[in-house]
Amino acid sequence: MKVPDSAVQISGNTLTIHLVDVPVVDAFAFPPPLPPAPENGIYPVTLIPARISFDITYTKSGLPREIHPESRDPLSPVNWGGEMWDATNSGTFSLTYTDGSFSASGNFSSQGNFGEMGTEHNGVFVDRDERNASSAGPAASSQAQVTQTAEGAKQAGRTVLLKGHVPVKVSNQ
Amino acid sequence: MSVFPLRLSLLVLFFLFALVIPLQAQIDPIPNLAVQPIPIPGGDILPPYGLFNQFLPGPPNQTPPFDPMNADPHGITNFRGVTAMGYTFGAATDNHGNPYGVITDIRVYQGEYVGGEVADVNSAGATKSAPSRGTFVEI
Repeated sequence: MKVPDSAVQISGNTLTIHLVDVPVVDAFAFPPPLPPAPENGIYPVTLIPARISFDITYTKSGLPREIHPESRDPLSPVNWGGEMWDATNSGTFSLTYTDGSFSASGNFSSQGNFGEMGTEHNGVFVDRDERNASSAGPAASSQAQVTQTAEGAKQAGRTVLLKGHVPVKVSNQ
Repeated sequence: MSVFPLRLSLLVLFFLFALVIPLQAQIDPIPNLAVQPIPIPGGDILPPYGLFNQFLPGPPNQTPPFDPMNADPHGITNFRGVTAMGYTFGAATDNHGNPYGVITDIRVYQGEYVGGEVADVNSAGATKSAPSRGTFVEI
């Protein structure tokens, strides 16, 4: 689901999510029993409208893992890049079916289980970010911060800017 | 699992797999969102249900096995930003006082993405690529 940006707060090593009465649907059991295949091949799935509230805090620790794409196959699990830290999370939740037939509340923790957080790029951003990272050194990256003010345009004629996917020479002659 | 009555044990996966993964793509259509995020094209094939557009990264040598630890934790493709995920265990009580075990896999994504928007309002809704940004939670 899409949530307001303000629902997620990132500060230092922590990321928190605070959501109240978010509409969701619940299939109630997984895996559901597979019914005999109907003639049209479509399995009915009963979805129950509900609302959920929760607060979760993710906390990263240790050193980051630098991740670079290991495959060009778009269906591969390793066709992405980023910088990820091990992370734990814990939180509380409450859930209520909108018809009032069921509600529950509780808490959870990832202690001892796998979790991670960090930054990543996938899909169309893989090629352009990985290419920029490999072809543009720190100097070029800092040059990319140059803005196109009138004064900046004069400077641009003497510097390299990142424009689009590849560094290009900009001339104001 | 053994600490819970069988009937309740069947509900243990309530949050992770039932409420979270309604047996279609993990990124379902989002009403009234102009630029729809696109599910990752890959994912885990779980017989007999089919393809779930989501990987389950985790440590090696587990039973049942996870995907490689460096498997993409994201559910949305064409995304650049912050990602957080983690598997949890917990406990809950319903409105009748019944205890439940809880397993969650709640993932959050915040950043820019290239999704799909309507290319022509006079069409059936055919898409074109469009940049946008947002915050998404998979619960």
